[in-house]
Amino acid sequence: MTAIRILSPALLLAFGLTWEAGVYLTGVSPIVVPPPSAVLAVLWAGLVQGWLWPHIWVTGLETALGFALGSAIGFLCGLVLGEVEPLRRLLWPYVLASQLVPKLALGPIFIIWFGFGLTATVVITALICFFPLLENTITGLQSAPPEKRDLFRMLGATRLQTLLRLKIPSGLPLILSGVRVAIVLALVGAVVGEFISGGQGLGASIIAAQGMMDSTLMFALFILITVMGMLFYQIVVLAERWLLRGWQKGSKS
Amino acid sequence: MPTDAAPFPAPFLAIERASYAYPGEGLTVEQADLALASGDFHCLVGRSGCGKTTLLKLAAGLLLPESGSVRIAGSALAGPSRQVGFVFQTPSLLEWRTVLDNVLLPISLHRRVTPADRSRAAELLALMGIGDYAHRHPRQLSGGQQSRAALARALVTDPPALLMDEPFAALDAITREELQDDLLRLTRERGATVLFVTHDIAEAVYLATHVSVMDRGRIARTTAIDLPPRHGAESRYDSRFTGLCHDIRAALAPSAEAAA
Repeated sequence: MTAIRILSPALLLAFGLTWEAGVYLTGVSPIVVPPPSAVLAVLWAGLVQGWLWPHIWVTGLETALGFALGSAIGFLCGLVLGEVEPLRRLLWPYVLASQLVPKLALGPIFIIWFGFGLTATVVITALICFFPLLENTITGLQSAPPEKRDLFRMLGATRLQTLLRLKIPSGLPLILSGVRVAIVLALVGAVVGEFISGGQGLGASIIAAQGMMDSTLMFALFILITVMGMLFYQIVVLAERWLLRGWQKGSKS
Repeated sequence: MPTDAAPFPAPFLAIERASYAYPGEGLTVEQADLALASGDFHCLVGRSGCGKTTLLKLAAGLLLPESGSVRIAGSALAGPSRQVGFVFQTPSLLEWRTVLDNVLLPISLHRRVTPADRSRAAELLALMGIGDYAHRHPRQLSGGQQSRAALARALVTDPPALLMDEPFAALDAITREELQDDLLRLTRERGATVLFVTHDIAEAVYLATHVSVMDRGRIARTTAIDLPPRHGAESRYDSRFTGLCHDIRAALAPSAEAAA
């Protein structure tokens, strides 16, 4: 275990060194493939001089807002559709169809509706986060075993009590795995949303760097986005672990 | 209905000519009659798929009969009754609540839990021998301990009737015997009327005052168990005990030949 823990970052280091050596040995133009040392230098400069921070802030805000909005609406719609079966059957084809529309293709129309900037990107991100929560909430609510439903009936529980005290807690592990999917998609949604609509943010910066043929900056931005994604994901995993602490206790896994 | 039991005076739980069919299937329970006097411990035995669990759900009000009726203390059931405690095949504890919270569930669904409720539930857990586990979570308990917690949950509101669906089937033999003794003690103390489904003939004879054999949706035969109070392993090997087991085995067997 400890060997793997050491080996894993060592692998990254080896990859970086090979890349660096490859750039010098083949003499490929740094405009096409920049060496990692140059990428890290640009990244460091951007962070120290501070001009990267507003972009990080904007993308982070878009991701967080879109994720929160899309997940919350997805969860609530999942509750309604999960509880009211006729409604689910009535609306499901349309819900599915709405998900098959490539949401990034909606970007231009959102720009007409909401203007350039934050709102359009947040809406795109929220739309992307909506579906995993909707689907996992509906499935999660059905996951309570029939015996426990009978138990709640025997005990004279109301429908709301059964939802709050049996169905949602039973489905929580599934619902939270939907949240994990959503946070990963949220960052992708925000970055690509900025390609279309943004004047600010890391995605917009990539487009700007493309305009200047600055591939070194582009790679620096890739690294930033990846680190941000890992941070967001880790926060969600920690929150999940905290919410499920009652389930984990004594489980033999 | 052939029966060698004494006629029941004013049954506490009465199932009269009840029939039930699941949608798209034939009758699972057909014209079943069953009458439990107050304080009776009635066991239902039968082969898998004979309709005993369905009959138990009819008695609970979880299912409503298509014809006939189910009455508890004289009034017909129109749905699940809170006069009835139900113990399922699996412990069905809520994994995210402590054992104590699980036992208090029948109360906490209807009113605020008082300190008196808590101490009563804790007392019940102590009686069941799992007092030290009150603040653990169900997954930290063994199968036998989970079954005990489920039993405590059914008893916490002191229901006059208790319906049990093979609650000990998944336990090892020794744990099962311990739980049978605890169940007998607790239900006798409370004078509870029990309808207990099992496929284990010896379990039925050990626990019951009456054993009914069920076959293809009908009550085939009801036997009164007039043995002295049973306790401990010795009484399980008594000749009258094994004799009764044989009789009930014989009542179950014809359907085995018919099926073969």
